[in-house]
Amino acid sequence: MTSHATISIEPAGIRWQAMLPVVAVVVVAGFGLLSSDYVVTVLGFAFIYTIFCTGLNFFMGYTGQASFGQSAFAAIGGYGSAILCADYGWEPLLALFATMALSGVAAVIVGFPTLRLRGHYLAMATFALGLIVYEVTIEWTGLTQGYMGYSGIPPLGIAGYELVTVKQQLVALVVLALFGVAVAARLRQSRFGRALASIAGSESAALALGVDIARYKLVAFVIAALYASAAGSLFAHFIGFISPEVFGVTMVVQSFAMLYLGGIGTMWGPTIGAIIVSVLPEALRGLKEMQDIGYTAILIFILIFAPRGLAGLSALFGRVRGRVKEAA
Amino acid sequence: MALLSVREETMRFGGLFANQSISFDVEEGELLAVIGPNGAGKTTLFNVISGFFPPTSGSIQFDGKDITGAPSHQVASAGLVRTYQLVQLFKHLTVAENVEIGSHRVTRGGVFSALFRPEWMRKQEKNVCEGARELLRFVGLEHQADLQADKLPYGRQRLLEVARALAAKPRLLLLDEPAAGLNTQETEALADVITRIQRGGTTVILIEHDMSLVMKIAQRIVVLDFGKKIAEGTPDEIKAHPDVIAAYLGGTETVDA
Amino acid sequence: MPNLVEFLQSVVNGIGVGLIYGLVGIGFCVIYNASGIVNFAQGVFVMLGGMVCQALLTQFGIPLMLAVALTIPLVAISGMIMELVIVRPMMHRGATLFAIILATLAAQIMIERITLLTFGDRPRTYHEFTTGGPLKIGDIAIGYQLFWILGCGALLVLLLWLFFTRTRTGRALRACSQNREAAQLLGVPVARMMLISFALSAALGAVAGILVTPTQYTAYNVGTPFGVNGFIAAIIGGFGRAGGALAGGLLLGVLQALAIVALGAGFKNVAALSALLVVLLLFPNGLFAGFSRGAKAH
Ligand SMILES: Nc1ncnc2c1ncn2[C@@H]1O[C@H](COP(=O)(O)OP(=O)(O)OP(=O)(O)O)[C@@H](O)[C@H]1O
Ligand SMILES: [Mg+2]
Repeated sequence: MTSHATISIEPAGIRWQAMLPVVAVVVVAGFGLLSSDYVVTVLGFAFIYTIFCTGLNFFMGYTGQASFGQSAFAAIGGYGSAILCADYGWEPLLALFATMALSGVAAVIVGFPTLRLRGHYLAMATFALGLIVYEVTIEWTGLTQGYMGYSGIPPLGIAGYELVTVKQQLVALVVLALFGVAVAARLRQSRFGRALASIAGSESAALALGVDIARYKLVAFVIAALYASAAGSLFAHFIGFISPEVFGVTMVVQSFAMLYLGGIGTMWGPTIGAIIVSVLPEALRGLKEMQDIGYTAILIFILIFAPRGLAGLSALFGRVRGRVKEAA
Repeated sequence: MALLSVREETMRFGGLFANQSISFDVEEGELLAVIGPNGAGKTTLFNVISGFFPPTSGSIQFDGKDITGAPSHQVASAGLVRTYQLVQLFKHLTVAENVEIGSHRVTRGGVFSALFRPEWMRKQEKNVCEGARELLRFVGLEHQADLQADKLPYGRQRLLEVARALAAKPRLLLLDEPAAGLNTQETEALADVITRIQRGGTTVILIEHDMSLVMKIAQRIVVLDFGKKIAEGTPDEIKAHPDVIAAYLGGTETVDA
Repeated sequence: MPNLVEFLQSVVNGIGVGLIYGLVGIGFCVIYNASGIVNFAQGVFVMLGGMVCQALLTQFGIPLMLAVALTIPLVAISGMIMELVIVRPMMHRGATLFAIILATLAAQIMIERITLLTFGDRPRTYHEFTTGGPLKIGDIAIGYQLFWILGCGALLVLLLWLFFTRTRTGRALRACSQNREAAQLLGVPVARMMLISFALSAALGAVAGILVTPTQYTAYNVGTPFGVNGFIAAIIGGFGRAGGALAGGLLLGVLQALAIVALGAGFKNVAALSALLVVLLLFPNGLFAGFSRGAKAH
């Protein structure tokens, strides 16, 4: 990249560029709306995963930490929403926020001791957290109905109005995913976001500049947990059924495949990755059986040959990542 | 009253006294150099002052407050900012963003202000951005503002590190061998920057091996050898000090400035 | 004292499974020492050991000793492939630590799924090496397989010790663990040492899997629990020390067996994982090292 003296950033130009992925997402969704319900379901997954990965990107991309156990918070969101709505007749939206709050609190409690760890130990500790919640969803049958799973979860809706068709729900998911990406971008382009980036860059330099790294790591972890929890809740409402397998190790690997394929640490990387990884196995019919093998193969390939992902390859998105300044 | 006073500071690693009963004061606005042969304990002294580890014994006072053993980010927040002997840039970010992060200490706002962007926040962001440009001009990096930091040549990375530390508007700036690995020209430029920093009212402590640089810009010098302070005084006094000459003749370096 | 028998019985069982954990833990250490990497796919070698051996025994009707003699090199080759295809190129390209960890985790899942597609999800087992038993001492029953586990485990530890102290390769591996750059400068072929460490570590996992399968069962997904428990064993022993890992494994095995008696088997994995967190947070340098230093960074 040869970027000399590009001091005069034209806000209009940047904004136009920044809108491009939004347009792309809307086009993808529009294409889905014109297709079968099956395609809509696949795209719905993609946008739920967009939310999950955007959160993960906070902790791993922006802050440079690692969590191999974000599936735990998705499970809290999914099961929380399922139980509150199916058994207690809560409003889906209310349940979504309530479980997000619960996940946030859980993230603080768990993150406070765990995030002191580094490297392999952090990876293994977070991995264990995910596995613990997974085991609990299997074994605590009184709460989760174990392997049987939880069914009869109502679709998303507001104030008595339910989104009955999958296409309506897809629209809602697209809006929520874009909202999630926008929030992440806004947070990144701020003092807060810069502090996170400083931790990823060099912890000792961050400390020397007065960044309270323990606190910022924790906040990033909590934000990631909120996104994961929301994704879990949305999954429950979208499919109407959840089981422990949904929030297992596969979810972790799949989300990493998305994050690294799309481009970790970039604004649109999670979205790009989520859409491609969700749609690809559907496009390659007959590969169904081998889906997980496909994900892991993609992930390993990307990790070896293009660790910065697609967004990293593209100068266009690279600029968006670099310095979008709020023109307002 | 002195801006920084180090009192009987001792740092022991196992059986090794990296610092032993070191005491000195730094006055507001001063440029103090810390010199000494390799392994004399200079970086350790910085690590203790800046809170990276608590001293084995002794105390550090900054601006009248006891900061002994305070965590490093708190020490930095109080206005005592350091750089490292090995460059520690945020490599994956742009040059400008490196400097913008530097302003963390003198700005405010967290998640909520980032989301809702109140008026003061937008103004602050604008100031941060403009302040960063100004500092890049100050050190002569204004044309590389949008370059990724690790694409800078090494000498310029050191300048960027100084600019980033300045963005924190430090009251006391600790520079650990900023000229290490620089060529003569780059060292000249750096010397000029450091002098201007001090003229601007910032107190500076400088660790440096380059004697000509030290003798030229330092007002006072503290000399360490084997963890002990063996001399303190003006450049002229230090040059004539018998212990210093002995220490350096024993080592590989010479005091020929 | 009605529970004394139960207590002793679970100690006996715990020692057997603990030795297995210890072997997996040593596997972690061997790779870590040679390369600075924690291989998250370590448990998969245990699974492969059991699965391959079972397949050779039942589907091809090969006699036990021959099956064992074939299984171990086969699994060792899988470890070498992992090193050659995944770890080596990533290290060459200066991949981040987390990326390498993630790649090994992905490798684990990939191997599990391939196993699932090839062998199905039916749990498998084969009979103990020596039929008959269990040996009864009072009310305590000791399966003959336990003696095989103890005997082979002890033999293996002895062989490892000889390997690391008496052979050139073993000493070179230890040199790598002390300081890789210095070892390189002294002419130790560091890349080959990493390959050897993966082979050795996979072979250890395979032996563990072969030994333990008759006492329980094997299936495509048994790797993770063994991996996690082996990792705990390694941490308890102060990561990187083979002897420590062995002791850690025995301690963990016995504690787990007791916990199962006390709490029931349902939350067994939850208990193990919680133990992992406790050890990580409170004893990052191992139980035997005390609290003195902070967590080892890499
Ligand atoms: N964290 C540590 N643990 C153990 N020993 C240390 C540590 N940090 C420094 N030392 C030792 O303390 C002594 C002083 O080291 P220090 O880095 O302070 O020297 P220095 O004066 O900065 O040298 P240089 O000019 O080479 O940078 C050295 O012997 C060093 O090995
Ligand atoms: Mg030094």
